[in-house]
Amino acid sequence: MGADVSVVAASEPGCHIFNDFGCGFEAPGVSLFFPTPWVDFGLPGTSGLNKYYLVAVVALLVAAAFWYFTTRNAKVVPSRGQSMAELLVGFLRDQVTRTAIGKEGDRYLPLMVTLFIFIFSMNVMGLIPGLQLPVTSNLAFPAVLAIIVFLLWNVIGIRHHGFGGHFKARLVPSGVPGWILPIVVPIEALSNFVIRPGTHMIRLFATMFAGHLLLALFAAAGFYMFNPTSPMGPIFGAISVGYSGLALVGFLLFTAFELFIMAVQAYVFVLLSSIYIGEALEGAH
Amino acid sequence: MILAAEQENVLRIHWDEFTFGLIAFLVILAVVYKMWPRLTKALDERADQIEGGIARAQKAEAEADEIRQQYKEKLEEAHREYAQELEKAKEQRAAIIAEAREEAQVEARRIIEAAQAQIEADRQQAFVQLRGEIGALSTELATRIVGETLGDDAARSRVVDRFLEELERSEGSTQAEVR
Repeated sequence: MGADVSVVAASEPGCHIFNDFGCGFEAPGVSLFFPTPWVDFGLPGTSGLNKYYLVAVVALLVAAAFWYFTTRNAKVVPSRGQSMAELLVGFLRDQVTRTAIGKEGDRYLPLMVTLFIFIFSMNVMGLIPGLQLPVTSNLAFPAVLAIIVFLLWNVIGIRHHGFGGHFKARLVPSGVPGWILPIVVPIEALSNFVIRPGTHMIRLFATMFAGHLLLALFAAAGFYMFNPTSPMGPIFGAISVGYSGLALVGFLLFTAFELFIMAVQAYVFVLLSSIYIGEALEGAH
Repeated sequence: MILAAEQENVLRIHWDEFTFGLIAFLVILAVVYKMWPRLTKALDERADQIEGGIARAQKAEAEADEIRQQYKEKLEEAHREYAQELEKAKEQRAAIIAEAREEAQVEARRIIEAAQAQIEADRQQAFVQLRGEIGALSTELATRIVGETLGDDAARSRVVDRFLEELERSEGSTQAEVR
């Protein structure tokens, strides 16, 4: 897996714009997301111990440490850290669970907090120098979370409305005439049991994947275009530096934008999870 | 799920990464659940304290309201009493003035009456005196003029009386004419 050696910048060393040996720009490709494993398990369907493990461990430690240290000494008069934790909990409670589930959604607040801090820390790993790989750009990680939410959705639905009640509510929309059901039920089944968890995981994965690819492109382009000692003369060298500066500005702007996207995607994932759980609690509607 | 280990398929899900992700999620979930009661306990305590503070403030406010009401009532009462006193004083003043005026009038009337009585008495006395003197004088005058002594006292007084009666009559008519 990921046999080819991939680096962020153009593959050929010393390859820059305005060179005389005619090497073209090679945009970073999907090989970015297939880091070479340090330890290959040699089993089918495994990736081996690769950079994703390392970054995921860092994300895990960041998320767990954030929660541990901010709530360890929870007092009536909060410290700074505790205020941050309370701000997060208050935001998720008021904006997510209370709106999507209602008062009984407070039971699922710890789950939502976990999802949010885990996803956000995994996302933000894409901006940490040295790591620079969002864990959620590997579909396996969003898939874990989406499948957990999907299973919970079914468990809650079955527990509250019975096996038949849950699946009837999910497959047979109320107010649909009987003769159309043979068409509607398969559509609903596909929509609710396949497409929905699929989109739930792929939405997060795809935005992080694309965002990381975009940042890598700006970085690689800036590196490629930086050639002040061009053999074609100092004028071309100056132009190359100007191009490179533009790429740097784009990189910085998109880095800031990426940070925003990372927070928004974590929020969206949690919000959708809450909506699904609220739907399962509600039953038929 | 796409478990195919196809080369560079971005939608691949390697089960070892999946398992690791699951473990990481469960670890964070455990930490969050472990720490959750501490945070909720602090939040509940804070809510309690805030509620207690609000209750105390409401109580204090109610007390203050009550006291203010009492003061207001007292003030109104004082105002009312003052107005009453003022009214009473005014009445008393009027009564005193009226009484004084009454007394003064009575006194004046009494003085006037006394003066009138005195005047009447004096007049009466003067009249009686004059009558006697006029009788004696006229008798004397008549004696001198006539040269005859009117015999006895009885005849003399009869003459004098008749004369005076005539005089009075004529006097009364002249008085009436003057008026």
